[in-house]
Amino acid sequence: MRTRQPKYQALAAATCLVLAAVIAAAAPALAAGERYLHVRVQDAQKGENVNVNVPLSMAEKILPAINHGPLHNGSVTVHQADMNGIDVRAILDAIRTAPDNEFVTVNSKEQNVRVAKSNGNIVVHVRDQRDKDQNVDITVPMTVVDALFSTAQQDQLNVAAALQQLADTGSTLLVIVHNASQNVRIWVDSNPVPRND
Amino acid sequence: MILLGKIVLGMAGVTLAGAGLLCSEGFVQVKVEQKQPQGHHVNIIAPAALAPIAAHFIPARNLQDASQQIRPWLPVIDTAVHALREQADFVLVEVREPNQYVKISKAEGAIVVDVDDPNETVHVSVPLRAVGSTVDEIADAAGPQ
Repeated sequence: MRTRQPKYQALAAATCLVLAAVIAAAAPALAAGERYLHVRVQDAQKGENVNVNVPLSMAEKILPAINHGPLHNGSVTVHQADMNGIDVRAILDAIRTAPDNEFVTVNSKEQNVRVAKSNGNIVVHVRDQRDKDQNVDITVPMTVVDALFSTAQQDQLNVAAALQQLADTGSTLLVIVHNASQNVRIWVDSNPVPRND
Repeated sequence: MILLGKIVLGMAGVTLAGAGLLCSEGFVQVKVEQKQPQGHHVNIIAPAALAPIAAHFIPARNLQDASQQIRPWLPVIDTAVHALREQADFVLVEVREPNQYVKISKAEGAIVVDVDDPNETVHVSVPLRAVGSTVDEIADAAGPQ
């Protein structure tokens, strides 16, 4: 009986070692986790509800394979003519180095628009003055915007890099569009099935 | 007698190997249940490996158009199929309307489409491995690229 005890101890120690090794191996995978880009459109009047859930790692792999129209190797070409002469990179450089602040405020009879930098995010709020129920809120992490403009080409947006950065950023509510009948939400989290809230 | 036994054993082995090969890519399932009192109930389960084989035997002229349309998208389809296979199960699209429910999901290595409307329920499950090889067969139908 006495001779068996060390055997059990050795067995228990070996089991603990194996468990520790498994947990150590799994930890980075668990920490990294999969992120999903969720799009939800709810139409209360029609009683419709549409959910689209895309794993970001999957989108990152597929996007560079698409070479069609303005999309090539994960980048979108935006023609200068579409930019109306605005140097977006210069504006972003200015915003990046600036402290948190409200950069644009437009109050008109039709709409109130506010563009700000807040806690490392670019925030856009649009309130429709005629239809009080119509709101648009956009929050984009600055790191994602930087990734989007990370290509050497002046007329390209690096969508693949932006997706990768979005996956690294964590759970983020990106877009809310709300009006009398419809709600649109676009967000990123680690749930494969969106919550019903 | 021993020779006969060997022949039977060989044939059984070949049959078993053939069945294994045929089932290696999983099964395509198409299930349609009509909700009317006299409605049809159809449930087809076929080895997915048959899909690319069937595509191979379709006369090339019938696939010419599909082949030419699919060719530019082959790298995207291949990448998408591989990326999907690596993913854990998830719901890609879910649409709920007052009278209809549609769900497209990835489940156990297959793309699954479920539709439920007042007339019928439809369930289609296609293994991803079969999708890739069938698309390759269709793309090959127009001859060498």
